[in-house]
Amino acid sequence: MKREHQETIGGAGSSNGNKAESSSSSMATGKGKLWVEDDQDAGGMDELLAVLGYKIKSSEMADVAQKLEQLEMVLGSEDGFSHLASDTVHYNPSDLSGWVQNMLSEFNNLPSTDLDSSILLSNNQDSQPSTITSLDFSNNSQSKVFVDDSEYDLRAIPGVAAYPQKEFDKSNDRKRMKLTPDGSSTAPAVAVNSLQSSNSSCSPSSSQQAIMAVSGTLSEPTRPVVLIDSQETGVHLVHTLLACAEAIQQENLKFADALFKLIGPLASSQAGAMRKVARYFAEALARRIYKIFPQDYCLDSSYSDTLEMHFYETCPYIKFAHFTANQAILEAFANASRVHVIDFGLKQGMQWPALIQALALRPGGPPAFRLTGIGPPQPDNTDALQQVGWKLAQLAQTIGVKFEFRGFVANSLADLEAEILDLRPPEVEAVAVNSVFELHRLLDRPGDIDKVLGSIKAMRPKIVTIVEQEANHNGPVFLDRFNEALHYYSSLFDSLEGSGLTPPSQDLVMSELYLGRQICNVVAYEGADRVERHETLAQWRTRFDSAGFDPVHLGSNAFKQASMLLALFAGGDGYRVEENNGCLMLGWHTRPLIATSAWRPAAGDSQLPSQ
Amino acid sequence: MAGSSEVNLNESRRIVPLNTWILISNFKLAYNLLRRPDGTFNRELAEFLERKVQANTIPVNGVFSFDHVDRTTGLLNRVYQPAPENEAQWGIAELEKPLSTTEVVPVIIFFHGGSFTHSSADSAIYDTFCRRLVSTCKAVVVSVNYRRSPEYRYPCAYDDGWTALKWVKSRTWLQSGKDSKVHVYLAGDSSGGNIAHHVAVRAAEEEIEVLGNILLHPMFGGQQRTESEKMLDGKYFVTIQDRDWYWRAYLPEGEDRDHPACNIFWSEWHKSRRTGVP
Repeated sequence: MKREHQETIGGAGSSNGNKAESSSSSMATGKGKLWVEDDQDAGGMDELLAVLGYKIKSSEMADVAQKLEQLEMVLGSEDGFSHLASDTVHYNPSDLSGWVQNMLSEFNNLPSTDLDSSILLSNNQDSQPSTITSLDFSNNSQSKVFVDDSEYDLRAIPGVAAYPQKEFDKSNDRKRMKLTPDGSSTAPAVAVNSLQSSNSSCSPSSSQQAIMAVSGTLSEPTRPVVLIDSQETGVHLVHTLLACAEAIQQENLKFADALFKLIGPLASSQAGAMRKVARYFAEALARRIYKIFPQDYCLDSSYSDTLEMHFYETCPYIKFAHFTANQAILEAFANASRVHVIDFGLKQGMQWPALIQALALRPGGPPAFRLTGIGPPQPDNTDALQQVGWKLAQLAQTIGVKFEFRGFVANSLADLEAEILDLRPPEVEAVAVNSVFELHRLLDRPGDIDKVLGSIKAMRPKIVTIVEQEANHNGPVFLDRFNEALHYYSSLFDSLEGSGLTPPSQDLVMSELYLGRQICNVVAYEGADRVERHETLAQWRTRFDSAGFDPVHLGSNAFKQASMLLALFAGGDGYRVEENNGCLMLGWHTRPLIATSAWRPAAGDSQLPSQ
Repeated sequence: MAGSSEVNLNESRRIVPLNTWILISNFKLAYNLLRRPDGTFNRELAEFLERKVQANTIPVNGVFSFDHVDRTTGLLNRVYQPAPENEAQWGIAELEKPLSTTEVVPVIIFFHGGSFTHSSADSAIYDTFCRRLVSTCKAVVVSVNYRRSPEYRYPCAYDDGWTALKWVKSRTWLQSGKDSKVHVYLAGDSSGGNIAHHVAVRAAEEEIEVLGNILLHPMFGGQQRTESEKMLDGKYFVTIQDRDWYWRAYLPEGEDRDHPACNIFWSEWHKSRRTGVP
């Protein structure tokens, strides 16, 4: 079910800080073209504001201006301001109209359920030990509707915001479901554009074109580069790597070989992250030049799980993924008495203890919790899924949460059918579908991702949480993929350097190996073997939007909590959480590296009872 | 201010284009939420609300950008350059050759505004502005992501500005002209203008060549209010009250607005006798 896209310049914080021109000649014409001549584009969005990260229709502007004036006038008192500042959960600042409206509504809701909220407050504070002390938050006060509680144990998910009162629920839903059928305030449509690549020397294959046709459009390519010190002196090394990749693309293997031999000494002269990254990329290039293709990337999942565990310990990316996804799930499960999480990649189940604990701490008691874990077949026929399920069951028992587990083995998520999951109707059980770094594997075969998105809809979930790498490692042009990956993994490796672990720490070495395998897959593999087909948030948005999902926005409370999580990591200075049109991204300095988004089937798309 | 707020709002709405008015009013509203009466700042909410854009080595409208981070200090600079003529060189940061060996290519070190507290080098508003600067001036722009108050007070922003100046001056790939040197201008709006000024003064003192300053409504003040401050209080999005908050957040604790960071005219008298800065 295709939704009507508005052509817009594209949203905040993402790659689309540029003006979309219908002839896409902006890149070719070079200099000269200055500022906005015409303040409106075809979609009716104000162009000036769009470039600055705010989506607002020209027709809405007078109304928004009036609301801004209203807010200005009613918020003369300090009390009014501090309430909005400290208690209100903000969503998607790019939707200026929605944001302003939200605050007006919040302000109007000010005097309300004092008694209920103070009960909620005291429950939370009793049960959550305080561990975070360094950050200052606004004072609690009885008259507030709910307070974003700053005291929490990392293992539990904090915040009264996760347990909204019924009254707040309505306005929450209003926020989230203000996506009207005519498509206003939808997820930002990406500027319609033909496939662009600055170095395209070959046209996309027909399967790629089919994928593009299905998914809609490809966003304009961007290449965010963050250089860390040594990379400046390593520029020669980078150029050599790129030249080698280009030679391979042109199938000039003799030249590629000559360049490859230069890389070793150049890499050795570098320090730290740059050297390590270069080595992995060089190795991957070597596989292509000398045609060494081991087939074992996917086979040993327990090996890759082990590596991932070390990566999990070393840096905050996976923790951030789990944390933000859990927050969205928790909020979606707010009033349900039976809940069911379907995890598309159970692995070691590291995401779930925190959620189980948070559910246990829910005022009014935990819901019954069902977990369905999906995983690949094991080479030695051990039932890895059951083992994980068993451990989680033990944890659930000790903290008093009713728990059920089911494991499903599948070679591919596309093999999954909603029917076999033994789902109960949405009135009985709230379902969450969770996918952390799994969906991109489906992108090799066109149709697989669509099948899976269809299955997800058939599961009638309350929420779908998706975490993916924020990079385009799935473009059709090898050199572009290589360049993208080089910069992406350079940032990742650099953040590992900043982790404060001194070599030869096992965690560090394993983490690097974990990433190194991904690099190898992106660069040296093709076809079905190339599973690390990362795509950007903008690309995923287009897919989900086209497939009939509405975004569920992650708000300022999740953002704040994620920021606090990061502050606990050594070398935390470089990590940045960023809000992007309702999604949250974690990056190293200014380079976003992973993105969490949440979705639900579009209203009116299924037989969901209205909530 | 409260009494005359209605008149003030209408006046700015009459003069300022609607989309600009909405943009700045939106900032004003957000900033009001972020400043706490006790002088603390809601940094998390500020970062949540801030619209940012990534650097992009692929040229857009003839300009590309990339970020550089100094690992030891964590200082980030965003570099904006005109796109290379040769398309084959797009998407790569060229860090080996000078900008030109024949022509002079000015390098504008830009300090973004935000009253020392708000915004960053990767804020959408400043990214857009810096790109325009490159196009209009045919210059390279280096936007400095200096540390902000109240977490980092005076003189951190100036120190970061100084570090950035030294960094820019020492990049061979920013050199131009037959004399093979980096031709530097300092620029900034609001607090950025204040920083540019103070960095320029120090440059003059330490004999680092800066070719000129470009100050856009630079942020200065003093204990005594000027006539224009009193006349314009609240008329165009800015109030004396919020200015005072920002100075309290930036200046060392206990200092007032006659501190030389803020009130440059008082201390300029002393400085100009030594350095000859006009």
